[in-house]
Amino acid sequence: MLRVHASAALAAAALAACTTAPSTTTTAPVTLRFAGAVNGAEFRCGQSYDGVGVTRSRITPSDFRLFVSDVELVARDGSTVPLALDQDGVWQYRGVALIDFEDGTGPCSMGTKAVRTTVTGTAPQGDYVGVRFTLGVPFALNHGDPTVAPTPLNVTAMFWNWQGGYKFLKFDTGSTGQPATTAPPDPRGGGSASGFSVHLGSTLCASPSPKDPPSACQNPNQVKVAFDRFDAAKQVIVADIGRVLAESNVDVNAPNTSPGCMSFPKDPDCPPVMRNLGLPYDGAPAGKQVLFSVR
Amino acid sequence: MRAGATAARVTAIVAVASLALGLLTGAGGGFEWRLPAWVPLPVVPADNPMSAEKVNLGRHLFYDTRLSADGSMSCATCHRQALAFTDGRAVAPGVDGTDGVRSAMPLANVAYLPVLTWANPNLRTLEVQALVPMFGEHPREMGIAGREQELFARLRADARYPSMFRAAFPDQHGEISLATITRALAAFERTLLSFDSPYDRYRYGGQPEAISAAAKRGEALFFGEKLECYHCHSGFNFTDNQQHARLAHPEIGYHNNGLYNVDGRGGFPPDNPGLREVTGRAEDEGKFRTPSLRNVALTAPYMHDGSVPTLRAVLAHYAAGGRTVTTGPHRGAGARNPNKSPLVAGFELSEDEIGDLIAFLESLTDDRFVTDPRFSDPFAKGSPTPTR
Repeated sequence: MLRVHASAALAAAALAACTTAPSTTTTAPVTLRFAGAVNGAEFRCGQSYDGVGVTRSRITPSDFRLFVSDVELVARDGSTVPLALDQDGVWQYRGVALIDFEDGTGPCSMGTKAVRTTVTGTAPQGDYVGVRFTLGVPFALNHGDPTVAPTPLNVTAMFWNWQGGYKFLKFDTGSTGQPATTAPPDPRGGGSASGFSVHLGSTLCASPSPKDPPSACQNPNQVKVAFDRFDAAKQVIVADIGRVLAESNVDVNAPNTSPGCMSFPKDPDCPPVMRNLGLPYDGAPAGKQVLFSVR
Repeated sequence: MRAGATAARVTAIVAVASLALGLLTGAGGGFEWRLPAWVPLPVVPADNPMSAEKVNLGRHLFYDTRLSADGSMSCATCHRQALAFTDGRAVAPGVDGTDGVRSAMPLANVAYLPVLTWANPNLRTLEVQALVPMFGEHPREMGIAGREQELFARLRADARYPSMFRAAFPDQHGEISLATITRALAAFERTLLSFDSPYDRYRYGGQPEAISAAAKRGEALFFGEKLECYHCHSGFNFTDNQQHARLAHPEIGYHNNGLYNVDGRGGFPPDNPGLREVTGRAEDEGKFRTPSLRNVALTAPYMHDGSVPTLRAVLAHYAAGGRTVTTGPHRGAGARNPNKSPLVAGFELSEDEIGDLIAFLESLTDDRFVTDPRFSDPFAKGSPTPTR
């Protein structure tokens, strides 16, 4: 159980501002911790991981980032309160937070040195027993002009302009059967010309009129995640690539499709990935998401 | 401190909101377009007014290989002036050597297009479209996703750029950012105006002898009901996609011209499904945006995948009412594609008529456009070369 209590300073400020303020309006800081993993092992750039997918292949990741939004805390009675994210001008904007597990080293050279494994915010004081969030960027923020969007919605690695919007989840890997770069390799390293990538985002977002931005996406591909027993003080939300890829063959790519699964309809590499992300795909019903778990 | 931060955030939200409205104006402010009197003004996004300084900056950026991950590619790598800003290839490799899937489109008069690229109705402005080759990862073209800070540093380190950015974006204090880079590129692209072909001089310029008798016969065929070319290749840019200052509503046209039918049910090769890739509608399979025919003699090979090598082969394709592929994974009778435009019905052409049509299409070549120094590489020999 997470006990959220106002710090002395906040309480004093609240008292100074209004001595009759009811205690329910007092807020306190909350930090949700995330951890990247591959089949239970800690995610690290430069590390290779064995036993991935149906071929039990070795993969070498080169990127791993995701957007979390609409974070809510679950009270003991099942009611929820939104977590008001800190507007830090770097990782969080309005209700969206970027989680960035890569550190720009080794095969992650396309990435950034800075890592981010927490979501921080404030919630009304209280006892919370669970957490809910969405993997994705809310529609209202997903289709603006990214060149003037505030950070972190201006991180180009998460741009998805050819589809309109952002990647919600991005991980790239090279595998035993598909090294991450093809000849001639980019002399600066990185890249994922082949390999097995998972880029999740909304698809089929055409607008009814050419003058208007998209009004909806046929495949929003937003993943709702709920852990109704979660203690933010003691526990960590683990995001595990290996579990997403468990039913995939990462050593092959269906010809004439994007490397791995980039959410495009009719990609034979996608059904096992989308099922494990808890999403419907091309008529197949949604499975249970296994990317996130609590440890 | 806190109040200041809040104000900055509000400003950012207002900026995003005003852009999201997509306000467009026909005015280019005081910008001198240098257009013939008969040509309407292009439509310019309200948040990116034209200026000579911005166009100059955009021209430099368009030709600058620092916009790619390894310094090997600029916009001009695939958009070469001599080829009316195409590259002569079916598809082009990106920085890691992997081929793209669609052919580089010509850029003449892109200022008049309401939607851009072959089949993405969500790409409505050149500002946003510029992000695709720079940051796209499937296919990876210029490959700088995740490296924008490196790009800004490279540009700042060139003594010429900071002053060019200040001149182009005085209100932004010369900020070097994605917003300013893409806006400068778009402003330059809007000046790539081609209205001085022999056909323009013949049709609009009061010079009845500017094109040959053969080209005039070809013109009659092109605009005739036997061939039906002009239904899609209509208007002053020879495409049914247009917006301009004198047009109330933009016109948009995507068509299936019977290029493939891989499964007998209208299927196109899976890496190029056309408009369906974005709309998800089955009837949009194989539909692509009608390209302009200006300078078409210079823009071979043709079609979205560059699979038709010559103008003569294009005419054969339309004469047959679609293409039949006899071998390989793409085999199928395109003429029997159920999604095919009814206007691609087929026709018979004599050898003389083929020659006449090609003469007409060649009369759309604007030699001044493809040699105009204003559109040329500012880093080429004779111009001061920046440190690379």
